[in-house]
Amino acid sequence: MIEFKNVSASYDGELAVLRDVSFTVNDGDFVAFVGTNGAGKSTTMRLANGLLKPTAGEVLVDGVPTTALKTSELARKIGFLFQNPDRQICCNTVREELLFGFKALGEEGPDAEARVDAMIERFGFDGDAEPYLLNRGTRQLLALASIIVLAPPTIILDEPTTGLDFRECVKVMDIVCELNEGGTTVIMVCHDMEVVGDFAHRVIAMTAGQVVADGATFDVLRDGAVLKAAHILPPQVTEVSMILGREPGCVPAVAAANTVPQMVEAVAQAKQAELQQVAEAAALADDVLAVLAAEQAATAAAIVEASADYEAPAAAMGASEEEGR
Amino acid sequence: MIEFKEFSFRYREGAEPVVKDISLTIPDGCFVGITGAAGSGKSTLTYAINGIIPHCYPGDFYGAVSVEGCDTVETSLTDLSRMVGSVCQDIDSQMVSTVVEDEILYGLENFAVPWDEIPARVDEALASMGIEDLRDRTIDSLSGGQKQKVAVASVIALHPKVLVLDEPTAELDPASSVAVFDLLARYAREHGTTVVVVEQKIALLSDYADLLVIVDDGRIRFADTPDAVLAHSDELLALGVNCPRATTLMNALGKQGLYDGPTVRNVAQAAAALQEVLA
Repeated sequence: MIEFKNVSASYDGELAVLRDVSFTVNDGDFVAFVGTNGAGKSTTMRLANGLLKPTAGEVLVDGVPTTALKTSELARKIGFLFQNPDRQICCNTVREELLFGFKALGEEGPDAEARVDAMIERFGFDGDAEPYLLNRGTRQLLALASIIVLAPPTIILDEPTTGLDFRECVKVMDIVCELNEGGTTVIMVCHDMEVVGDFAHRVIAMTAGQVVADGATFDVLRDGAVLKAAHILPPQVTEVSMILGREPGCVPAVAAANTVPQMVEAVAQAKQAELQQVAEAAALADDVLAVLAAEQAATAAAIVEASADYEAPAAAMGASEEEGR
Repeated sequence: MIEFKEFSFRYREGAEPVVKDISLTIPDGCFVGITGAAGSGKSTLTYAINGIIPHCYPGDFYGAVSVEGCDTVETSLTDLSRMVGSVCQDIDSQMVSTVVEDEILYGLENFAVPWDEIPARVDEALASMGIEDLRDRTIDSLSGGQKQKVAVASVIALHPKVLVLDEPTAELDPASSVAVFDLLARYAREHGTTVVVVEQKIALLSDYADLLVIVDDGRIRFADTPDAVLAHSDELLALGVNCPRATTLMNALGKQGLYDGPTVRNVAQAAAALQEVLA
């Protein structure tokens, strides 16, 4: 568990980049921090893993202030993926890079080797490849792998999908999800709201060094005041549904949709309901027409009958007149 | 005009060409978006425009690439850099100064811009990126996003005829990304500058590009207007390119027989189309 209690922080001792920030990340959470550049998200992450110490307040990891924990103790509890993987990668081969954390923690051995082998296979790496000759996306994957190979209970990901193509993004986030489902706490800074909407269970929105919202992902991403304050846009389908939801008479399921399947189903249901209404209206019209037709037929019959009643006496009268002559 | 004629390139250490048989003409003033999966050859195309290939990265160069009629092999890197301004993918590798203002001054001084013009150029560049407040900040104290804005400002200050940017908004928040693209589009309109942007954010490219190029395994698979390219969402997905979610939504509705209108690129278009569908 990571607790921020009224935390403030500054890099130069004067300008506060974080002001009175409080929140708790419980074990097993999947939290995304969102906000503009300079909102204080990355600073919050550096405070969480002890790279930065608060100028006021306390940051507690499993109940212990980060100021009282050694870097090695924090490293065992929290894995940290930097925004730029090149700030993290320091070895000559992929295999050495993956073993580096074990070496730093003094945990080399057959178990470490086996875990590195498993990680190389899982990510499809070439263990002998030189990291700096890999493309940006693969370097990002390597940086992530070098963290999760140590199996820390919490991972902090600072912009994990930056510079990745769609397939790499899906690969990274599937692995992160798998870790979270296995109990790893995930804290992620992310500008890509589609990724946030697809994966995070909770969102903390920040602006100007302060937390402006903390709640379930779509509760935060559908709150107009929060979106405005944090200068963020919701995921596209959510934004579409919010626009449609402002229309009078909008179908509730359309106004509440956050994903493509949800919106497709909502629109299909709305169209189905519309077709049902049309069918019902058509049936009603048929009924009315049938009634009208029956009435018309009855009227016609009555006219015929009345005509017959009129024509018979008239005919009788005509016949008697003929007879009189 | 930028012209690729049957261009292929193999890096010296590479086993195979990373771009193959590329033919593409980019007219003056065109805003070009290039996207594709990692390793598809996008960045190599930009290196061929700014002359990094073959002047800095040696290898086997086939075909021809020209910028403003100048063959990039025969033209010196110095001369090319006066025509083509570049923003690198790795911003830290581009920064040469310790203070923001010095970073913008660096290119202007090296290009021997008249001294009395320089202050106005610096002011204009800082203002156009909305980073006047960063003028005296040290580069090390900036966030990744702020550094990217400084890098773009330092290139724009040079008034190049062609701007080549490799993932210029990778570390920017969505609002700042839109702001950068707004600036690039406005700058291109006002100066007649050709802009070539490599970017993973296809939603941004679709809204701003005149020409959207999809590269796969070193070859151009699509080069057309964004609407025409996004109509092939399934093929794009197979190439590792994900369409904007608004496009995916409307294409999914189309498959269900619930929408048969034109290709949708963004939220506003999707909302308008759905209003009609539901009317």
